[in-house]
Amino acid sequence: MTLVAGVDIGNSTTEACVAELAASGEVTYLGSALAPTSGVKGTADNVEGVVTVVGRALAAAGRRLAELDTVLVNEATPVISGLAMETITETIVTESTMIGHNPDTPGGAGLGVGTTVDFGALGECAPGEPVICVVGAGVDFEDAAHGLNAAVARGVEVAGAVVHADDATLIVNRLDSPVPVVDEVTLVEKVPLGMPAAVEVAEQGRTIRTLSNSYGIATVFGLDAEQTRMVAPVARALVGNRSAVVVRTPEGDVTGRRIPAGSLTLAGERGTRSVAVDEGAAEIMGVLRGVRPLTDASGEPGTHVGGMLARVRDTMSELTGTEPAAVRIQDVLAVDTFVPQRVTGALAGEFALENAVGLAAMVRTSRGPMRLLAARLREALGVDVLIGGVEADMAVLGALTTPGTGTPVAILDLGGGSTDAAVAERTGVTRSVHLAGAGDLVTKLIDSELGLDNRELAEDIKKYPLAKAESFFHVRMEDGTARFVTEPLPAETFARVVVLSDAGMRPVPGRHSLEKIRQVRRSAKHKVFVVNALRALEQVAPGGNLRQIGFVVVLGGSALDFEVPDLIAEAVSGLGIVCGTGNVRGSEGPRNAVATGLVAAHALAAGLDQAVGE
Amino acid sequence: MGVRDRGAATTTRAVPPAIVVRCAEDAAAVLRDVLAGVEEEGVPVRVELVPGGDARDAATLAFAAARASSLDVGVGIDREGAGCVQHAKRPEDRPALTGPRERARLLGHNAARLVTGIPVKT
Repeated sequence: MTLVAGVDIGNSTTEACVAELAASGEVTYLGSALAPTSGVKGTADNVEGVVTVVGRALAAAGRRLAELDTVLVNEATPVISGLAMETITETIVTESTMIGHNPDTPGGAGLGVGTTVDFGALGECAPGEPVICVVGAGVDFEDAAHGLNAAVARGVEVAGAVVHADDATLIVNRLDSPVPVVDEVTLVEKVPLGMPAAVEVAEQGRTIRTLSNSYGIATVFGLDAEQTRMVAPVARALVGNRSAVVVRTPEGDVTGRRIPAGSLTLAGERGTRSVAVDEGAAEIMGVLRGVRPLTDASGEPGTHVGGMLARVRDTMSELTGTEPAAVRIQDVLAVDTFVPQRVTGALAGEFALENAVGLAAMVRTSRGPMRLLAARLREALGVDVLIGGVEADMAVLGALTTPGTGTPVAILDLGGGSTDAAVAERTGVTRSVHLAGAGDLVTKLIDSELGLDNRELAEDIKKYPLAKAESFFHVRMEDGTARFVTEPLPAETFARVVVLSDAGMRPVPGRHSLEKIRQVRRSAKHKVFVVNALRALEQVAPGGNLRQIGFVVVLGGSALDFEVPDLIAEAVSGLGIVCGTGNVRGSEGPRNAVATGLVAAHALAAGLDQAVGE
Repeated sequence: MGVRDRGAATTTRAVPPAIVVRCAEDAAAVLRDVLAGVEEEGVPVRVELVPGGDARDAATLAFAAARASSLDVGVGIDREGAGCVQHAKRPEDRPALTGPRERARLLGHNAARLVTGIPVKT
């Protein structure tokens, strides 16, 4: 009887299992554990993590280190992954021609057209002229209403107002005859004076009809066809607003510009091609498919993408002592996404959802200081250390301990930095592939699309369900059920969407609805994991035909996600294959596959009286 | 033939649903700001002035005001102008919001937002 431990050093997690091997080759699994990987996978830094996890697994098995005969460790090859985002559009408002921030409490309702005049100069206006009054900072709402009423009494036609403070309702409540008023205009001093302008406010629950319509703006300002074409982006930007202001300035414009984001050069076995990043993900992935298998990728210096690819290359170069020029980027994944950005030239802090392209890249190497790592481990544990076989083989062996599986089988390993796949017949692994784009990219997409600038919160939103705080004492879950709390919720959480994380309810900043956050979360998982699952399976399936695969077993940390395995199963459902989350040894779920496989392989070899590893 | 709500006909509503503000008499300037915040959010409000001697701390005033409000939200303003927003269903010692006199306007907005059910302003 020998006591062995199988150890899988992953990019983020190190897993182990402890088992007893009989002379006959029969294996009895006693316990398993996991711990965060220390340092970069495949380097001597990993020793600390391995020692920790072996200790935990032994404790779970009720055994001591002194009883351990052998440690089997996988051939952990370093994987360096990188992420970058390029924003490829921007919105610019020139000459302060439009205000579209949609404040919560505008005043009045209707459309007012007139010449812009400062509140202080209202007294000099001649009667009969329609004016739009611009009320700057520091004017009390009572004084503003009083001044407007006085002007109207003199015969000045006050058609509307634009106000700095959050005072629209207060002012309109005090007017003798209400007019549309847009408030909360932070940079009110930039509103051009002496220009024709229109203010429109819709009733509560409705949206504006005139200023969001190119022909509406044309009617208001008497524009011809050519001028109307120029003003169309303004109308488009105001669609869906409850309120808006448009000022007819000579060169005023709202433009959506494409930002040049450099090009990406993809070198593959079938040729080398360049593609402009701002062409979008579909174009980039199309070029990749055309030159695949990829042999290298590089970006333009001075761009985010170029910088990221260079960093990935340099990190791997340092790690393995290879020349940077000899490091090869093995895969990239491009994803279309959105980033809320401040509108240049905006007067009230308006944001626009700009297009962006996210790129994940990955490089791995078969050269790593494994021998050094094994030697250090031997020293640290005082136990014999054997380096096991190819990781994919071990993963398949472990996956096949899932009840109900059979060959041919494909495994999908969903990690943090990469998505891996391998397909195996009864005889062993026939093909394996490693792709860029996994859990970390999903987090980054959620972070940028919701404008959070908070990676940790984005990670929580990825992993945990959402709810909306409806009162101080209950939240409504995504599925519509209510959950009650015993302690009253703090005011910062009231009426907000919260993430039900392990550490408690975390409010999500911003005004996104629960449905929107949910949609962003699911779409990020789809754009990365479903796309990569199909991409990976297509590359390992016999003849590129997924139907030739009988079983797909999903493994890895990201397989524990509450939505990802279902999204993948749904995507492959039409292909007649059995796809589901693995359940290693019928008890470990998608975890511990490689560690289990190492033990299983060792037992097989021991049973056949062969040596394994070095 | 429609449905006639005989109950509604016989019960006369004495006061419309409103936030109640209990304010110490000496803090009139602060009161104006609070009321402006509530009015801007579009929620009805009713004021009860408290004579100097009877004015307690803002939290006690707020809690009593919340209990008196049919919308369950009350604002208390003490003699120094410090303010507090309470909800009738919260424990008395755990007010929903507090603020110094300089943020009275914001307090008004947020008291109203507890009624309209949108996130508070910061």
